Amino acid sequence: MKASHTRLPPWLKKRLPRGGRMNKVRDLLDGLDVHTVCQSARCPNLCECFERGTATFMILGDVCTRNCRFCAVGGGEPAPPAADEPGRVAEAARRLGLSYVVITSVTRDDLRDGGAAHFAAAVRQVRAATGAQVEVLTPDFLGDPAAIDAVLEAEPTVYNHNVETVPRLYHKVRPGAQYARSLRLIERVARAGTALPKSGLMVGLGEADDEVYSVIDDLVAAGCRMLTIGQYLQPTRGHLAVERFVRPELFDIYREEGLRRGMRWIASGPFVRSSYCAEAAFASASTT
Amino acid sequence: MRQDVVMPPLGEDAGNECTVSFWQCEVGDRINEDDPLAEMTTDKAIFEVPSPFAGKLVQIVAGENAVVKVGDKIAVIETDE
Repeated sequence: MKASHTRLPPWLKKRLPRGGRMNKVRDLLDGLDVHTVCQSARCPNLCECFERGTATFMILGDVCTRNCRFCAVGGGEPAPPAADEPGRVAEAARRLGLSYVVITSVTRDDLRDGGAAHFAAAVRQVRAATGAQVEVLTPDFLGDPAAIDAVLEAEPTVYNHNVETVPRLYHKVRPGAQYARSLRLIERVARAGTALPKSGLMVGLGEADDEVYSVIDDLVAAGCRMLTIGQYLQPTRGHLAVERFVRPELFDIYREEGLRRGMRWIASGPFVRSSYCAEAAFASASTT
Repeated sequence: MRQDVVMPPLGEDAGNECTVSFWQCEVGDRINEDDPLAEMTTDKAIFEVPSPFAGKLVQIVAGENAVVKVGDKIAVIETDE
């Protein structure tokens, strides 16, 4: 039997780790019924991160109310948020011995506050259980300022919200989202001044380099200080096709150009994802 | 002792398939632990499989272009002990 996988360029190569920690991490997460975006999004860095004992928790269930065309997280009608979920996430973070925790979620347009109160509870409970610094990666909460503020009041160290792609491609890539709304969210986080604002961008969806630089300018103007840029990879053949594989040298140019345009910290590379090496990223950004 | 080399977890969904792109060694080669054995391709990445044992590669079970699942036997190594 032959498979017809997409032809991948040679730089999209990863070495599988030999250690056995990965299965322990997986069992621990399964045992507590805790979701990770690593598993739900079929992340190619999963082995590496689980082997290091880190994971990015995904709260508010594993069913999303939007249908972004790049994302492998399943859609449909979600169940009400589980009241004990923040506690289970905190317990998982404690057992993993994490000193820096990233929490993200599905988008919950069905909830009045978009799940913000649940987010805040998770931040507080994780910090109480572990003493860890907490980074959040939130949906746009439909732009609701009260929801954004509710998360900020829980005092995450870093507040990440991904713009994901250039504005021209929003209707195709992120139906239901608005570029300007995402920028306003980042601006609100920056104005509050309590958390470091961060964002992320995928390339390979059909954008031009100039459009990448415009997004960086918009983010800098909104007060964003940390940015990740990574290669879009098609999770299944039912998702958007990859329009181009960006060469590692061009990722380096994006980084240099972004720093020149005023971003304080940028990770840019084929396998960079928004929470990849988040702890090191924060350490670097906060001392720059 | 003959030891089976099985496809290690890819980290994506369990039971996920990958395709053997090519073997980086041939039957009869001496292999050190951690030497790259083969490259596997999924939709998202190329994964290099390191050897779990030191010894001699005596059989390649999953040849190039074969589709394998996590846990499938892909090769046999005659180890030194």
